[in-house]
Parts: sequence; C-alpha cells; structure tokens
Amino acid sequence: MRRLPLPSQFDRIIITGGVVAGLALAPLLLVLLVLLAVDEITAPEFIFWLVAAVVVGGALGTVLLPNIVYAALSLVATLLGVAGVYLLLGSEFLALAQVLIYGGGVVILLLFGLMLTNATDDPVVSDGSQKPFAAMVGLLLAGVIVAAAYDATWGVNEVAASSLRAFGEQLFGDYMVPFIIIAVLLDIALTGAYVNARRERATAGDEETSP
Amino acid sequence: MIPLENFLLLSAALFAIGFYGVLARRSAILILMSVELMLAAVSINLVAFAAYLDADGLTGMIFAIFVITVAAAEVGLALGIVLRLYRERRTANVDAADELKW
Repeated sequence: MRRLPLPSQFDRIIITGGVVAGLALAPLLLVLLVLLAVDEITAPEFIFWLVAAVVVGGALGTVLLPNIVYAALSLVATLLGVAGVYLLLGSEFLALAQVLIYGGGVVILLLFGLMLTNATDDPVVSDGSQKPFAAMVGLLLAGVIVAAAYDATWGVNEVAASSLRAFGEQLFGDYMVPFIIIAVLLDIALTGAYVNARRERATAGDEETSP
Repeated sequence: MIPLENFLLLSAALFAIGFYGVLARRSAILILMSVELMLAAVSINLVAFAAYLDADGLTGMIFAIFVITVAAAEVGLALGIVLRLYRERRTANVDAADELKW
C-alpha cells in the first residue's frame, strides 16, 4: 500500500511536475515563437495561448491523474492560469482575488480534505466505470458550446479599461444588497460546515459515539 | 487584440474537462475539484463578456467575484459533509453513499 507523500516530499513532486510541464510546453513555445516571428499572431495572443495551455493542461491533469495529490497540485496550476486569463482581460483585482482565495484558501482546504480522508488509504484512486460515457458526454458538450460560440455574432466593443475605483463604487453601490446577502451566505456556510464536521459528544441514550 | 472567441473556446474546454471529471471520478474530493474547474470556466466567460461587450466592463467582474465567494463557501460546506461521510463509512468514495439510489 502506498502512502500519501509527506509535505517534505512536496518539493520533489513540484520540481518533477515543473520539469514535466516545461518539457510539455517547450514545443508549443517554439511553435508560438515562430508564429510570433512571422507576425502570424500578436504578442497578447502569444501570451494567451501559453496561459491557455497551462489552464487546459492543468485541468486535464486534475481529472486524469490517478494520484490525488498530483491532481490537487495540477489544480493549483489551472487556477493560477485562470488568474492569468483575468489579467489578460484587464481585471487585475479579480486576478488577485483568484490567487488569494483559490491558490491560498480553497486548494489548502481541499488538500486538508485529502489528508483527512485518505491518509491511511492508497492515494492512487480508481475511477468509475462510466469513463467512456463521461468522455463522450464531455466532448459532445464542448462541441455544442464551441459551435454556439462561433455561430453567434458578437457586437464587440473595444476593451474598456476598468478602474478599481469604479469597480469598488459599483460593488458597494448598485450591488450592495447582493453583497450583504453573500456575506450572510458565507456566515451560514461556515456555521454549517462546522456543525457538519465536528465530532458529536456522547449523550445519554447513545449506545456508541463515532470512533 | 485577442478575439473574444478564443476566451470562449478556452472556457468551453475547461467546462467540458470539469464535466468529465465530475462524471468519471469517484472520490468526493476529486469531484469537488472538478466542480471548481467548471466554476472557473463560467467565471472566465463572465469576465470575457464584460470586457468585450459591456460598456463599463464591471458587471461581469462583480458577478465573477460572487461566483468565487459562493465557490469558497461551497467548498467549505462540502468538505464538512465529506468528512462526515468518511467518519461514517471510512471512505470518501461517493459509491459508498447510495442509500437514496433505488
């Protein structure tokens, strides 16, 4: 039975993963550089395709890697790539929030979940028998969305540079009520998580408490 | 300038990959991760539409902020439930909790 890697082994995992990802990205980088050199694509597009490769590669790693710790670490790559996409779209605040909340909070929470539920089990999980069906449905879904996106005519404006000040004024002005509702929702969710996850005390009448 | 379709293509790919993960994975936490991928895809769509189609480009960003917040709440709550399931069944495999399946 293989154990989960220790935190001290994460360095090795991350370095190995980085080398593998670099080797995988190198041919793409080469192709893109050639395209850039012959003016086939512009500099923003060059960066977009690199970021997109990181996002899609990390996502594929998340759903395909059999080892759950590797899957979680490639999820980090995906979420940081998504922050890069937000930067390309000109919303720096969202990129920062993405790195802080996802890179810092959600992923740590998920890793905690992995450690608490699979610590003594095999970290290598097997997927269900629905894999071919799932792949088929996923491809179909992607095809429908892409076809719809290319079929529609978008009345594209120029990209408006949105300022952080205007963003804050909108959020605390027009969107004040949703903001408060979200705050209450967070409060309720945290309370619910605590109530769900705590160990119950032995009370009179209970024949056994949870181990 | 990057065409809007590029972002839609990326978001569609991300959404489909996350969808595949939700259907194919059997560990509850890996399913949660796949849901995160799908939420990120939706956020990319919202921000892209806001940047390209909206005059001030802010509404989609605010929606994306709400999506991120709700996703954080969802992960916290879902992990509580997964821990509870693990304590009851000694496994985080979703096939172990099939009492409601007839």
